[in-house]
Amino acid sequence: MQTGTAIDVRNIAKSFGEFRAVDDLTFQVFNGEIFALLGPNGAGKSTTIRMILDILKPDRGSIAVFGAPLSEAAKNRIGYLPEERGLYRSVPVVEMMVYLAQLKGMAAGDARKRALALLERLELAEFAKKKVSELSKGMQQKVQFAVTVLHEPSLIIIDEPFSGLDPVNTLIITELLLDFKKRGGAVVMSTHEMSKIEEIADRLLMIYRGQGRLYGAVDSVRQQYALNAVVVEGAGDWARLPGVARIDAAENGRRGTLLHLQPGVRSDDILEAIAHDDTLTLKRFELAVPRLNDIFIQVVEGEKSNA
Amino acid sequence: MRPRIWEVFFYELRRNFRRKGYLFTTFGVPVLALVATLALPSLFASLGADVPEQNNDPTQLNLPTELMQGIERAGYIDQTGRISAPSGDLAAAFTRYDDEQAAQAALDTGAIQTYYVIPADYFETGDITQVLPRLTITQINPDLIRQLVLNTLGEGVDPQVFQRLDDPANFREVDRQRNTDGDSEAAFDARFIVVYVFAIILLGSLFTTNGYLLQSVIEEKETRLIEILLSSLRPFELLAGKIAAMGILGLLQVLVWTGAFLFFGWLSLNDQMRALLPLLTGIARITIPFNILPTLFLYFLLGYLLFASLFGVVGALSNSMREGPQYTVIFVLPAVAPFYFLSIFATTPNATLPVILSLFPLTAPMSMAMRLAVTDVPLWEIALSLFLLALSVAGVMWLAARLFRVGTLLAGQMPKLKDIPALLRG
Repeated sequence: MQTGTAIDVRNIAKSFGEFRAVDDLTFQVFNGEIFALLGPNGAGKSTTIRMILDILKPDRGSIAVFGAPLSEAAKNRIGYLPEERGLYRSVPVVEMMVYLAQLKGMAAGDARKRALALLERLELAEFAKKKVSELSKGMQQKVQFAVTVLHEPSLIIIDEPFSGLDPVNTLIITELLLDFKKRGGAVVMSTHEMSKIEEIADRLLMIYRGQGRLYGAVDSVRQQYALNAVVVEGAGDWARLPGVARIDAAENGRRGTLLHLQPGVRSDDILEAIAHDDTLTLKRFELAVPRLNDIFIQVVEGEKSNA
Repeated sequence: MRPRIWEVFFYELRRNFRRKGYLFTTFGVPVLALVATLALPSLFASLGADVPEQNNDPTQLNLPTELMQGIERAGYIDQTGRISAPSGDLAAAFTRYDDEQAAQAALDTGAIQTYYVIPADYFETGDITQVLPRLTITQINPDLIRQLVLNTLGEGVDPQVFQRLDDPANFREVDRQRNTDGDSEAAFDARFIVVYVFAIILLGSLFTTNGYLLQSVIEEKETRLIEILLSSLRPFELLAGKIAAMGILGLLQVLVWTGAFLFFGWLSLNDQMRALLPLLTGIARITIPFNILPTLFLYFLLGYLLFASLFGVVGALSNSMREGPQYTVIFVLPAVAPFYFLSIFATTPNATLPVILSLFPLTAPMSMAMRLAVTDVPLWEIALSLFLLALSVAGVMWLAARLFRVGTLLAGQMPKLKDIPALLRG
């Protein structure tokens, strides 16, 4: 096991009757990183998370959290925000936060001070004594996030942290996550928001039908799926350029033209050719690295057609 | 690591105590009852309802309102010629008529509400015809005639002899089975009072507390908070903390209700204190049978824990407050089942059925309490019964905790019985 590993999952499997929810899954999550767990609905993400949290027992395989099987003491170092989540509706916000922090081993006084500070940062200070039922859905979402990090955990596991949030609140939560990571915390984030993964995640695991399909650093996964092509935007006859095999419109409705390069031709060569061609006007030039969303669709569709 | 039962206990206690529903049911209902208790007599007084005067002469028969069953005046036709003219209160209530036409005329004018025809062969047959303007079941009552017959018999009889005729004996029983040289009726009553108080508190706690427990568990499932909670503490800690908190709240509610009931009873008795003085004196002679109280306390504690855990199981498997309570009847019925066999418990407390019911954990608390009221139960039976009960508590709490864990994943319908083993494996 590596130093600084928050979660070490080895060959776990879990079935419900005939249905194999998780099948021989192996991955690690390191301290100081944001790890994205992605996959279509029913792929086995939530089952995996529940096994990490010891809510479900794996049929086989092993899970170590902070270097050992999950103990009750180690649970205090984890913050968990499930996808389907709720709060006590008829209880004042701060009181409920203090209770949930106490269950994580925090003293009531400390929990209250930190809860008020967090509510302040989340722009909810004036709602501290209001009942949860008086809060809007977005506000409740922020309170739920606050509960997850209130007890200063070392690892947080969050499912769809941005659903239901407007752009301003999405930014606030993003900053809190990045701040948590900067302080050495590990984040496991399960989400369908691929742009968010590209923006803040360091590594990812894509699960499909209970099995790991893509695993590694976000950039390297994208590179794996990169075409030998560049995207250009501007004016002129791009097909005339030396080294271009064929041209297409940029994929998925994006602006620009996709230039497929001949084998052995590098993007640098094309950029240089454009610079020397006075008939061409260049506004944008980028490598044709696919979006995670495209990779996700490609993997899922590919699996379906192979099935 | 310190168990977090106490955090759960104090939080649930605070949270549920402040619920409007709990406060209203616990304190609001008795206050409303107090208002009603204080207001109703004034209301009746303003409507002109008179409480009949009581007298202490045994030959002067009292006619309490319940005896009259809503009849202010009645008539009778004595065809035997042997019924004496009514005296005392009876004279005010009864008018003698020579024939049915006269009685019917009085009935038609509303001078009387009913009349009785006592036929010539009454003393041989006991047959009497009661005539009412329309059939009212509650007014068909033999007590008035009984008073009329007693009044006839009591004429010229020594008041003490008449008293014995009306109330022949205060029994003092010698129970060889209990090896006592005689329980007074009062002591015997005391045992029954203790058992009834036990039954009221146990059943009251079951119905009130466990309702709150079920509500609390299902609320956490409905809001999906349960998954967050179970990532922080063991299911057993959550369940045990809740059971303890709801137990205290339920007990408080039952005690407030019992206290309020006794207080209101005392208030309502106050006006008729003189008439009821002998009864109150009787109660004062009652001594609490302290020797069975510790055993009853153990049964109460284990019984409460068993039923609370069973409610926890239902809560863990239910998805809504609409669905959960309908399944709880499965457990509540056995709790009250021993009452159906009250006569068997009273007459043959050591027969097979009472023994089996007092060993079976679901019926044991109530059954053993009923047996302890009437007989000395062998120590080994009490020990075995408590052991089985404790074993069941441990088993059901384990089951409830396991189901709590996997119950978080359940959505839609409650699982079928055959699915439970798979769920328990997690």
